[in-house]
Amino acid sequence: MSPMYFSFSSAFILGLTGLALNRSHLLSALLCLEGMMLTMFIAIAIWSMTLNSTSSSIIPMILLTFSACEASAGLAILVATSRTHGSDNLQNLNLLQC
Amino acid sequence: MVYFMFVMMIGLILGLMAVASNPSPYYAALGLVMAAGMGCGLMVGYGGSFLSLVLFLIYLGGMLVVFVYTAALAAEPYPETWGDWSVLLYVGIYLMSVIFVGKYFMVNWYDMNWVGVEEISGLDMVRGDFGGVALLYSCGGWMLLLGGWVLLLALFVVLELTRGLSWGALRVVN
Repeated sequence: MSPMYFSFSSAFILGLTGLALNRSHLLSALLCLEGMMLTMFIAIAIWSMTLNSTSSSIIPMILLTFSACEASAGLAILVATSRTHGSDNLQNLNLLQC
Repeated sequence: MVYFMFVMMIGLILGLMAVASNPSPYYAALGLVMAAGMGCGLMVGYGGSFLSLVLFLIYLGGMLVVFVYTAALAAEPYPETWGDWSVLLYVGIYLMSVIFVGKYFMVNWYDMNWVGVEEISGLDMVRGDFGGVALLYSCGGWMLLLGGWVLLLALFVVLELTRGLSWGALRVVN
């Protein structure tokens, strides 16, 4: 595999692992999600440049737009959680726990 | 030039490793800033200076600023840095796994493509990725409209999520 593809593939998988194995903060999970979006932006931009199909440069722009919407929704959930539970500690979100 | 690209790639992986090991959100945001900066350097190395600028302005200057001042809601008196044992364990696991998987995958290094976007098509008035993004306004007009509509909708979503005096999700913190 080319080092370029390995670097952003492994960066994406690292972000995914960080999102899955989250420990204490909801905001850390949202930041891992943003990291995944960042690596996808970089990956698609570099692919569209090295394969000389620069008309695919639209895709990272649209991806960034939707990522901004998703980040704002996630942060609104974080603010609502911090307002009801006092902090964004993931152990406090246990209403559905048996 | 190749070493510049290598430094940027290593910086990207290290930055995301800093986020994925889940320290306190302050340090995770710092890792994301470094990863975005290195990713921008990577795209610049391939000739995509416009997309790199867009990433800097919108991602770092817009979205991460919002994340950083939301981190004030997650403030804790003793934040966990990367030197604390619980975080260092994750950093060590991620570093070892990236190195071992890299030794397995990157066996033949002569199929690297460092050819940028400008070196094949010849002389142009407009750079490659800049011309590509300009298609968003001509053929991709409907996607532009959809993007604008989704952004407007996101504002209303945020309003609904954080509305409500005492019966909604947003309440007065005691």
